[in-house]
Amino acid sequence: MGLIPNFKTLATRSPWLYRINAGSCNGCDVEMAVTALIPRYDVERLGCQYCGSPKHADIVLISGPLTVRVKDAVLRLYEEIPDPKVTVAVGVCPISGGIFRESYAVLAPIDQYIPIDVNVPGCPPRPQAIIAGVAKAIEIWRERL
Amino acid sequence: MSNQLMILLAVLLFPGGVFALVLGLALKGADRRVAARLQSRVGPPLLQPFFDIIKLGFKRTLVPEVASETVFLYAPLIGVISMVLAAALVPITAVYTPAPAIGNLLVLLYLLMIPGVVLMIAGSASGSPYGAIGFSREMAMMIAYEGPLVLIAAAVAIRTGVGMGGTVSFSLSDIIAYQQTHGSFLLDPVMWPALAAFCFFYPANIGIVPFDIPEAETEVLEGPLLEYSGPTLALFKIMSALKKVVVLNLGIALFLPFAPENWLLALVVWLVKMLVLMLVGVTALRVAIGRMRIDQAFIFFLKWPLLLAVASLAVVVVV
Ligand code: SF4
Repeated sequence: MGLIPNFKTLATRSPWLYRINAGSCNGCDVEMAVTALIPRYDVERLGCQYCGSPKHADIVLISGPLTVRVKDAVLRLYEEIPDPKVTVAVGVCPISGGIFRESYAVLAPIDQYIPIDVNVPGCPPRPQAIIAGVAKAIEIWRERL
Repeated sequence: MSNQLMILLAVLLFPGGVFALVLGLALKGADRRVAARLQSRVGPPLLQPFFDIIKLGFKRTLVPEVASETVFLYAPLIGVISMVLAAALVPITAVYTPAPAIGNLLVLLYLLMIPGVVLMIAGSASGSPYGAIGFSREMAMMIAYEGPLVLIAAAVAIRTGVGMGGTVSFSLSDIIAYQQTHGSFLLDPVMWPALAAFCFFYPANIGIVPFDIPEAETEVLEGPLLEYSGPTLALFKIMSALKKVVVLNLGIALFLPFAPENWLLALVVWLVKMLVLMLVGVTALRVAIGRMRIDQAFIFFLKWPLLLAVASLAVVVVV
C-alpha cells in the first residue's frame, strides 16, 4: 500500500458536517444538530464536527423539501462547498416532499437539482439512522478523495 | 557558522518546527478528548487534529471572487512562519536555551502579535462581511490584551534585571536562570499580580472561550476563517496549534520554569507542565464558561488585567 492511499484512509476519519435547511419543518434539523450530538450518540466519535462555514464542509446534510423560495440559495450554497463532497438527504421531505408533497411551493424530489448520495428516510429519522447515513457517506467519500 | 546551523535546527526541528507542531496538535487532541469527557461524551480519537490536517490537504482551495487573491493565500503562511520562529525563541529549562541573538522577550512579543494581525488581514482580504466583523473584533481584542502583556513582560524583566544586579533584562535565558537559583516567580508574592494578569491574557491570545470572540462559530461563523478551505485552512489550524505551544511555554518560562538538571527528566517535567496547563487552563476553562460579548470583554480587559499589570509593575519597581 502506498503512502497516498494510507493518508486517504486517515483523512476519512475527519468528516466535517454541514447542514442545509431547504425549507424543512425543523424536525430533522433538531435531530441532526442536537440529538446526534448528545452524549448517548456523539457523532464526534467518528471525528465529525459541525462547521459553520460551507467552505469547511465535507459531508452535506440536506433536510426539507426544497421550497421554491430557497432553491437559488441552496444551489449557491452547494456550489460553495469544496470538492470532494458527499450529500446526505435527511428525512422523507427531500425524497418525495413528505407531508408537503402536493404543495405548489415545493420542488421535491431534491435530486433533480442536487446529486444526492445517501437517503435517510424517516419523519424525522432516528439519530441512529442519521449516524448510519453519515457512516455510509464516509465510505462514498473515501472513493472520491 | 555552527551557531547559525544551531539556530536553523532550532527553528525547523526542535523546539520549533516539527516538534512544536506535533506537540501542539497532540495537545489539541487531548483537549478535545477531555472536553468531550467532561460533557460525558466519548469524544474524538487523540489523533483527531492530525486527521483533520491530513484531510484538509486533500480538499480544494476556493478563492472568493471579491477576495484579493495574493493576500488571501499568503496571509496564513506568514502566520505559520512567525509562530515557527517564536517557538524557537522560548527556552525550555535545562533542555534548550535559544542563541542570545534570538532569545529575547521583546522579539517574542512582536512575533506573538503577528497571528492576530494575520487574522485581521485574512478577514479583510476575504471580502466577506463576517470576515470584516472578525477583523474589527480581533482588533478590539488586540488593543485590549497587548497592553497588559507588555506590562507583564516589563515586570518580569525588571524583577530579573534588578535581582541580577542590573536594571532590566529581557533575555529569556536570564529570566530562567534567575528563577532556577532564586525560586520560580510562581512562589514570589511580588510577582502574583503579574501572574494573575497573565492568566487573563493567555485565553484571549490563544483564542479560546470566553475570549474567542473574533472567531465565534455560532455568531460570525468563524469570522476571518469563514472563506478559507482546504490547505489554507490547514495552515490556520497549524498556526493556532503552534501558538498554543508558544503561549503556554511562555507562561512556563515566565512563572514556573523549575526543572531538574538532567535534561531528559527536565523534558519530561516540561511536557507534564504543558499538558496540565492545557487541560486545566484551556479545556476546563472553555467547557466551564460561555463566551463574552466583545464589548464586555473589551471593558473587562481595560479594567482588571490592565489594573493588575500596572499594579505588578508598580510593586516590582518599589520592592
Ligand atoms: S422529514 Fe418530517 S421532520 Fe423532516 S423536515 Fe420533513 S416534515 Fe419535517
